[in-house]
Amino acid sequence: MTTESRLRSDRTAPVQPGADPGAALIRLPAFWVVLALVVGGAVRMALITGRFAGTYPLATLTAIALFALLAVPFWFVVSELDFLEREPPALLALAFAWGGVVATTVSIPAGAALDDLVAKLGSPHLAADWGAALAGPTVEEIAKALGVVAIVLVARAQVNSVLDGVVYGAMVGLGFQIIEDIVYALGAVALAGRGDHVEPVVTTFLLRGFLSGVWSHTLFGALAGAGIGYLVVRADRTWRSRLGVAMLGLLGAWASHVLWNSPLFRDGLGNGALALLVVLVFKGLPPLLLILVLVRAAHDREADYYAAQLDKLDDPELITPAELAALRSGARRATARWHARTSAGLRARAAVRRLQRAQARLAVELSRGTTDLSRWLHEVRRQRRILAALGHPEAVAPAGQGPWRRTASAVFTTALAIAVLWAAISLLGGR
Amino acid sequence: MGWVTRRQLTNLLGALCLVLVLAGLALGLPALDAALPADRPVPSDRPYAVGGGVTVVPPPGSRVDVTETRPTDDAGTALFRLGPVRYLITVRPFDGDLSAAADRLRQRITGTPGYQVTGVELTVATGSGLAGLQGGYTAPGRGGRYAVFVAGGCTIEVTVSGADLDLGRTLPTIDASTRTLRYDPAEPE
Repeated sequence: MTTESRLRSDRTAPVQPGADPGAALIRLPAFWVVLALVVGGAVRMALITGRFAGTYPLATLTAIALFALLAVPFWFVVSELDFLEREPPALLALAFAWGGVVATTVSIPAGAALDDLVAKLGSPHLAADWGAALAGPTVEEIAKALGVVAIVLVARAQVNSVLDGVVYGAMVGLGFQIIEDIVYALGAVALAGRGDHVEPVVTTFLLRGFLSGVWSHTLFGALAGAGIGYLVVRADRTWRSRLGVAMLGLLGAWASHVLWNSPLFRDGLGNGALALLVVLVFKGLPPLLLILVLVRAAHDREADYYAAQLDKLDDPELITPAELAALRSGARRATARWHARTSAGLRARAAVRRLQRAQARLAVELSRGTTDLSRWLHEVRRQRRILAALGHPEAVAPAGQGPWRRTASAVFTTALAIAVLWAAISLLGGR
Repeated sequence: MGWVTRRQLTNLLGALCLVLVLAGLALGLPALDAALPADRPVPSDRPYAVGGGVTVVPPPGSRVDVTETRPTDDAGTALFRLGPVRYLITVRPFDGDLSAAADRLRQRITGTPGYQVTGVELTVATGSGLAGLQGGYTAPGRGGRYAVFVAGGCTIEVTVSGADLDLGRTLPTIDASTRTLRYDPAEPE
């Protein structure tokens, strides 16, 4: 453990290990209440979508298919954020469902009412300019944040670090984003007045999926989730400071959403793809950077904690010192897998991934004080034997191979993201 | 069995708080909205800015519904109410011709279940020289009139709806108002 990483990670909330809830959660009243809310929301959203589907069946199918596809990479990235202590898929699905059917069901009437109130208490001009910036964020961020609260009520033990809050918050946001986008796309079809055509769906997909996708609800939800994660795990602090941080997270999500929806720079930088790209970056980058810093700090704290659990084993067959260092960092884990593929083939890459997962799971079980670790020890040793048979006994990359690859990967990803944004903006005519 | 633990009670309390906040958002805000009046008096002796550089002189005795009126620089909507009759003007960016604009509006009207376009379309013109098409439609329990104009890269859609008796009484003043539609991009909003 380096002094630098310890200092950085020590600034964030500690990890509070918790047991797997298993079937015990069905004895919690909140589980049934949340389930009822999800079922009610699903019925309501199905009715709304069904109305569109009756009139525009092709456009409805296209919208559902396109945005479902868009959800896949987002789901993968969000669920991979917490590689070391992975969240149960059922809870991730619950968070997604909350965002997709509960938060949206509540936000549709509430957002419209608040927008009306802005017009009534202010003026139609104020509502036209700032209604979307004030009403949407206020209602939607509260409704989404309640999704993380619902997860805490249902499975408190699964929210044991700030990173868990980020993951659940992002998943609630992702659910909201996908369903809202589908409804927007179908609204655009109805507004276009050209019958069951898919062009408005494709335009909405480019506009809301690509241009707004990176810095939209997933990001805002993650910010609010980070605050709630802190509130839950920082038991050593006073209630006042924990609530303060939770409110700060919610405020950050709200402010980011307000900035994104605001009319600021709507016409300030002229027309054209470059001007639009600059505005998108100006409005979207601050919250994106903020959440990246938060995730990095929370991840480091968690990595230090679980690495310390594995360090106690002092058994190089289970984990070597170099593997321990690699396990702490997402980039080093990826570099180790990449090195395995280039030096020993795809099977070695897959084995390294399984080994890393097994080591991470072993660390989690150690932190929970699980007495019978044989299942996890067996899995680590099994993957070790597979790697040894492939001539790649240690899941690490040689020193010096990581940094240039990480830099190249970051540059490539950034260039690809800009190219995709540019293509989307150009397809939309730079408007 | 049969005992409720303290943890379960706390959990239930938390879940009820969750439901309470959701109800406050989903039911409380709309209730507060409904409690406040949406209509405002509007002067009928000078043009009213609809948005996108379009103005109209509202019919005498009409009131503007602020919840459906949203003027912006490049688009806008204005809803006037004459008793139970709705007089809605919508301005949107549009790059087609008049017949395409009329076709789009008709599609939207007939896209609502139970709505049918009736009769033939007539050409109409405003006092400022905007040429348009006008037609009628019917819906369960109510009738309606629509008109559409194209000017300067935008479409101006007018829809009037209400019960037949009310429409018969108010249509002359609404027609007079529609004839005052004016497109002037330099018009201050």
